[in-house]
Amino acid sequence: MQLIIDNLTKTYANGVQALKGVTLTINQGMFGLLGPNGAGKSSLMRTIATLQEADTGTITLGDLNVLTQKEEVRKILGYLPQEFGVYPKVDAVTLLDHLAVLKGIRNKKERKELVEALLHKTNLWKAKNKNLGGYSGGMKQRFGIAQALIANPKLIIVDEPTAGLDPAERNRFLNLLSEIGENTIVILSTHIVEDVKELCTDMAIINNGEVLYKGNPLDAIASVSGKVWKRRIEKNQLEEFRNQYTVISERLIAGRPEITVYNEDSAPEGFQKTEADLEDVYFSLIFGKQNVLATN
Amino acid sequence: MFKDIFAFELSYRKARAANYVYFAIMFLLCFAAVTTDVVQIGGAVGQVKENAPIVIAQMILIMSVFFTLISSAIMGVAVLRDFEHNTEAIMFSTPIKKFNYLMGRFWGSFVVLLLVATSLPIAFMLGDIWPTREADRLLPFNLLTYWQPFFVFVVPNMFFTGAIFFASGALSRKSIVIYTQGILLLVLYLASQSMLRDLEQKEIASLIDPFGVRAFNFYTEYWTPGERNALQIPLQGPILFNRLIWVGAGILILVITHFAFKFNVVQNSLFKPKPIKEEKQLIRSESVIIPVAKQIVTGSTYVKQFLKLTFFYFKMVFREIPFIAIVIAGMLLMFLNAVNLNELYGTKSYPTTYSILGLLSGFNLFFVIITVLYTGELVWKERAVKLNLIIDAMPMPDFIQLVSKFVGLILVYCVLLFGLIVCGVIIQASYGYYKFELGIYFGSLYTETLAFLVLYTLLSIFIQVMVNNKFLGFAVSIAFFIMVIFFSQIGLEHPLFQFGNGSLGTYSDMNVYGHFVTPFTWFQVYWFAFVVILFAIAVVFSVRGSEAVMNMRWKSGKLRLNRPLVLLLASGFVIFISSGFYIFYNTNILNRYANSDDQEERQIAYEKELKKFEFIAQPRITKIDLKVDIYPSKRDFTAEGYFILKNKTNQPISEIHIQENPESEVKNEYIRFDKKNGISKKYDDFKYTIYALETPLQPGDSLRMDFKTVFLTNGFVENSNSNTQVIFNGTFFNNGYFPSLGYNRDYEMSDDNKRKEKKLPERERMMERNDPRGLAMSLFGDDADHLDFKMQISTEKGQTAIAPGYLVKQWEENGRSYFTYDMDAPMCNFFSMISARYEIKRDKWKDVNLEIYYHKGHEYNLDKMMQGMKDALVYYEENFSPFQFKQMRIMEFPRYASFAQSFANTVPFSEGIGFIQRVEDPDKDLDMAYYVTAHEVAHQWWGHQVMEAGVKGNAMLSETMSQYSALMVMKNKFSEEIIEKYLKYELDRYLGGRAFERKKEQPLALVESQGYIHYNKGSLVMYALQDYISEDSVNMALKRFTKDWAFKDAPYPTSADLLKYFRQVTPDSLQYLITDMFETITLFENKTTEASYTEKSKGLYEVSLKLSTEKLRADSAGIESNIPIQDWIDIGVYGKSKAGKDSLIYLKKHKFRTKDNEIKILVKDKPRKAGIDPLHKLIDRHSDDNTKSLIKK
Repeated sequence: MQLIIDNLTKTYANGVQALKGVTLTINQGMFGLLGPNGAGKSSLMRTIATLQEADTGTITLGDLNVLTQKEEVRKILGYLPQEFGVYPKVDAVTLLDHLAVLKGIRNKKERKELVEALLHKTNLWKAKNKNLGGYSGGMKQRFGIAQALIANPKLIIVDEPTAGLDPAERNRFLNLLSEIGENTIVILSTHIVEDVKELCTDMAIINNGEVLYKGNPLDAIASVSGKVWKRRIEKNQLEEFRNQYTVISERLIAGRPEITVYNEDSAPEGFQKTEADLEDVYFSLIFGKQNVLATN
Repeated sequence: MFKDIFAFELSYRKARAANYVYFAIMFLLCFAAVTTDVVQIGGAVGQVKENAPIVIAQMILIMSVFFTLISSAIMGVAVLRDFEHNTEAIMFSTPIKKFNYLMGRFWGSFVVLLLVATSLPIAFMLGDIWPTREADRLLPFNLLTYWQPFFVFVVPNMFFTGAIFFASGALSRKSIVIYTQGILLLVLYLASQSMLRDLEQKEIASLIDPFGVRAFNFYTEYWTPGERNALQIPLQGPILFNRLIWVGAGILILVITHFAFKFNVVQNSLFKPKPIKEEKQLIRSESVIIPVAKQIVTGSTYVKQFLKLTFFYFKMVFREIPFIAIVIAGMLLMFLNAVNLNELYGTKSYPTTYSILGLLSGFNLFFVIITVLYTGELVWKERAVKLNLIIDAMPMPDFIQLVSKFVGLILVYCVLLFGLIVCGVIIQASYGYYKFELGIYFGSLYTETLAFLVLYTLLSIFIQVMVNNKFLGFAVSIAFFIMVIFFSQIGLEHPLFQFGNGSLGTYSDMNVYGHFVTPFTWFQVYWFAFVVILFAIAVVFSVRGSEAVMNMRWKSGKLRLNRPLVLLLASGFVIFISSGFYIFYNTNILNRYANSDDQEERQIAYEKELKKFEFIAQPRITKIDLKVDIYPSKRDFTAEGYFILKNKTNQPISEIHIQENPESEVKNEYIRFDKKNGISKKYDDFKYTIYALETPLQPGDSLRMDFKTVFLTNGFVENSNSNTQVIFNGTFFNNGYFPSLGYNRDYEMSDDNKRKEKKLPERERMMERNDPRGLAMSLFGDDADHLDFKMQISTEKGQTAIAPGYLVKQWEENGRSYFTYDMDAPMCNFFSMISARYEIKRDKWKDVNLEIYYHKGHEYNLDKMMQGMKDALVYYEENFSPFQFKQMRIMEFPRYASFAQSFANTVPFSEGIGFIQRVEDPDKDLDMAYYVTAHEVAHQWWGHQVMEAGVKGNAMLSETMSQYSALMVMKNKFSEEIIEKYLKYELDRYLGGRAFERKKEQPLALVESQGYIHYNKGSLVMYALQDYISEDSVNMALKRFTKDWAFKDAPYPTSADLLKYFRQVTPDSLQYLITDMFETITLFENKTTEASYTEKSKGLYEVSLKLSTEKLRADSAGIESNIPIQDWIDIGVYGKSKAGKDSLIYLKKHKFRTKDNEIKILVKDKPRKAGIDPLHKLIDRHSDDNTKSLIKK
């Protein structure tokens, strides 16, 4: 089964053009959707999750037209929105059971087993009888993941799932996703490059509603490998270097900036070679002056 | 520091839009109240001008009570805000003193509150100078009128409520408190009102009412129209005390707040948190395999989803604290209202199920709040907690969420309705009444109330979905309620335009739900179809996902138009249209429909066209012989027979003017005369026909008029307009349906303001007392004097049909029961026809047959009524004249009207009065059944034996004399306390009635159908008269009067004639009483200013009193002026009886010649209390200061 997004556009009532002709083909397995905040990731995700209309374009999932056969899509969909809440006066067991019924799990015993397994899986077993209103951000996020896994969805859409998770939780969550990602389409949207690097076999980078890159993360890294250089500089030099080089990232290390630049041929003066990373690909696409990877 | 916080508070509030919105809402409400008819808050009555100080003050006062809601919103957040915005840690760690912090916040907020509250006087001020107002209904502009009430009432009220809300917000630190406390306080207040309504508690009530409404009413209730126009509301007397008490209470609350408020960030909760049982996680998450559960998404799953969601939402509502608060408040209100259930002159009734249902309907307001609030809450629930995207992505059909929210709410209502029934039964049981008619409870609440809730819930869902903004949705829902009212204002009165119209009508034990069920059902079908259409539209447009823009909602909504939904829409539409047509066919084609404007136009046209015939000479009816057939189950009747008309004038009559009853059910199949005639003119619009006789009817000659009247009920009309006289069980109608002679003045428009609008001349309510045209006709009109009467009346088997006269024959034929009634003596032209399933109680007094026809189950007071008839007959025969009939009957009729009416030897008596009254304590409770019976029997003399002329003052002869007669019968039967209690109610009603006089107050002798004069003042005056000149003298006068005037044809007597007889028996020294009581409006201002006593010797006490007495004369507008006093007034001294009660040890009339007097009296028992006019025989607006407790000196 493939998810094919073809030339999808969307302009909001306030004039913001969220999607500009997005075309993507997504296969089974983990698919990473990388992009900064406001890039159009959530708009795309919501549209795939049947919750938003597109102006033009199509989305097909196998034989299904996602934009019109919403009911059918919802049967096989697991969705974790970027921002969500819960009924505050209800506990996790009750709400999961509630959602399981809505998902069509009719057998009570099966439902109970499913709910219990999901609670164990997401480490919520201890807090299962606590009102959701009292959950911490991380617990709530795990609850969101649990509900997205109800009823063995064939298409799982998780929008910024690792935001607000501590490192341990994040690891556990990524492991969980990788377990189920084998014969399911899992779309993981994130602005954290690490997430994609660790998990995804396929990815796309989008910004301002446009797909800047699509392909394998390793290919992406390979494409910049040997072309990325770094150097520690003084703060007052920053402006100068920016003008002179294709700076793809700047960060502070012990109070002094370290910049990474893209250069095809050789190390610019004073720069050291550095191991190329997906992050470099990402930053070079998002912030790079030149569209260095346009050919890929 | 205080100054900074205060200033900060002001500048912070200045930027809050909410304050401007509050101002705008209050301003618009008040402005609309005075410039339009859409909003009604109090208002002026009759002669009182629309901007009279009292009218404006009352409106401002009422609005200040509702301002509580705004007060709670503004004052509650003053401190709470810091907790809400999590700024308390910043605030409390600064070096502010607690006092400065609290006071700065309080006064800053309070000033803002007052500024918002200036919307009231400003709106009224602007409204009153608005150019569309009619100048002749306004007084000259006076700034004080608007600002005095603001400072006297609004400022203290805001201070007190503000202090409460400030305290509760600061101390509870919970926003939920802010949202509910305003409503709660308001409800508790409204609830307490009903408890304070009883007469005895007025003075206390005026003090304990925190808003000062009671004090205001207490201080101004007896102001006459003149005073209402002239006086500002002063800050004195009970108003001053009240204000002092409650401002003091506000200060106290602030002091308590200061001490109770802790400058800590964390405050221990009042409730201990429930310990959560933590379970150990025994299984490692990595090892868990998520089992594969079977997913089935088909039709039956949808049912399961629907049920799951429905119960989920149902439970959710019950967990909401504001919901619980609203329900508790509503139930509380009902229980409080149950305390004074159905009181009439302080006497309660049995808590029958229908009266409890009336009580339960007080909960409807809460239902409206719940409906509007919780449809909004539920429609927005997922979006409010941001669970919407998850839920919306679930595989369920689009309609399931809305349907389950709707059904969840319906379940909530069903549970609440059941709770109401339980409350009702508890209330009944607490009164020791165990006839629980559960069928009626369920039959009314689960039909009428539930239908109303279903309609409004679906409508609010539609509004919430389409508006797509929760608060705007609330506003639109409420605006819709108002709009429905507005519809009728602009002439769209037809029930087909009135959303949710269709009540189940009045329930009666006799007629149960009667004929109301059919129209009720049709209107429900019609409106239900309408809301189903709305609901289907709501399903299409409901937001699923993140699209909120209308065209996008339509884009996704189109996809939802599947077959079932289209089918639902189409069938809703078909049912809506076809039921609408069917209703229209019934109300407008089968019946005549006229909205009130049409009705008024007809009245005007009638008057303009036909008024010229008002006094045209016509013959009078001298004999009536009719066959009346009543068909209760079809709600029809026919009447066929003849009148004999006699020319009693001294000139020939060549034209007979016949007015047929204008109601659309009534048709006359024929009207024939036994003398040759032709129709000379026919006014079809008014059903008025002039027949020209070929040879005029000579003086003294008679002619026979044959006619057949058919009353046919066709289809149905809206319940509030439907005929409640010809019904399934308990038919009661009078001769008004039959043809009458000449122009009927009763059809004219009587409202003075409307007449002015339509350029009609001012209309006198009655003819002058010496108008010969009036003297020539009796109170029953000019169609007849006395007449011979005979009627054969039939009805369906099982029912008894009754008309005046004696039953001479009774038989059954073709499954119908026939009765022939014959009257052996001439009677008046006013007769009733009655048919119902009756039980009969019989008795005999001398040779008079006494009968009560009653509904089975209403046996409670039959003995009292029977005794009432006997005692009345004994007294009246002995003191006035012999009873003219050999029979006296009372028959019960349904409670669509609540009166008793005296026809010749026949008294129809409403089931709503008397039959279900409950005298709990015969020493304290007035026996209304006995009293009304005595009054109606007295009419056999006053009205039937002596028919008075149809001129001003006529009711003094019939009603006042009947009041007097009944009062004397009561005096012989009951204790003095009961008579005193009765007179106190009469005084209150008289004074209250004159305060709201629409035209002008008349002296008793010139009363123009003014109930508060001829009934209430009549009782007072006649009681005083018999006290001053003795009962025997009054009765002597009445005996002579009856002897001279009974059974006489025209000219008829007037009040002037009766007063001559009274004057005859009144000593010269008391002649002034007749002038004061009957011929003028005279009031007293009697007061004991100082009272003390000394013990002269053992067993001899000297009481000294300082008294003030003023005598006032009022003109017709109620402007009073002092007149010299030369009056005999009671002085009374109370001691203590053996039973520990107050008892009079001295009562004697003293002559008063000046305002201030000092009196010394010697008594033998120890005195406790003394004063002037202690028994309230004279009309005194402040009767509670007449006596004073004595101080020993």
